[in-house]
Amino acid sequence: MSVFLLIMHSLLAVALLGAITHQTISAWAPANRAGAASFLGRMRAVPATSYVNAIVVLYSLTALLGAIIYPTYRLNVRIVLEQMQLHVPNGAFELKEHFVALGLGILPAYWYFWRSPQAAEYGRTRAALTALLAFIVWWGFLVGHVLNNIRGFDL
Amino acid sequence: MTGRTSPRFVIVFAAAYAVLYVVAVEYNLALFTYHPATEEFHFLVQPASDGPAMYWYGWMATSGLSAFTIAALISWLSSRSINRLWLGCSWSVPLAVMFVFVYILRRYFIR
Repeated sequence: MSVFLLIMHSLLAVALLGAITHQTISAWAPANRAGAASFLGRMRAVPATSYVNAIVVLYSLTALLGAIIYPTYRLNVRIVLEQMQLHVPNGAFELKEHFVALGLGILPAYWYFWRSPQAAEYGRTRAALTALLAFIVWWGFLVGHVLNNIRGFDL
Repeated sequence: MTGRTSPRFVIVFAAAYAVLYVVAVEYNLALFTYHPATEEFHFLVQPASDGPAMYWYGWMATSGLSAFTIAALISWLSSRSINRLWLGCSWSVPLAVMFVFVYILRRYFIR
């Protein structure tokens, strides 16, 4: 069961990663008309607002699944990492745990400031919150990926 | 929640949650503890007995409930200073707390 949940956690994280990355690029470097024809131009031209609800739902679900499988990690993976003296991956996961928790705290603000995309006075705040959330998602994804490579599914 | 009060609520919630979370972690102020080996929940902090104790859920609960209460109270206030609350607090305070965690956990990376 925990393997199934771990795979679901990973798949949701991939979807979240794609959505938040597109939105961050669009928020920080919106496309001009000339550049919209290229691959990067089209990435910059995505309607950033359309990702908001999906990102809130995906972040919440990914965090929830992570929280459900966390006890398995605590019992079967972290102890092994400590025994193998793999301090950096262990510390990276500790940071992931706290960053994800902090991300949950900024989610209401993120949702609120994207709710009024026409409000120019919120532009910087929107972009900063999106970038912060994107960093947390990328950190969580990469650390989870590396730890899974170290420990595997332990089947 | 009206459009006028909502920004205050979410800004204060984001900032208060981040600060309270790091305080909860540092002083281990978990609202509840989970013991994964025995699959038992306990109210407040219960030290590890049979296997490790997990406080992460409890830290989030402590900071989430406290930040909600603070944000709700502040969003009821209507003084000018509160109305002029800087929007950037919603991201700068959590960002600062992330750096605090990097500092707290530096022993994992510097040996």
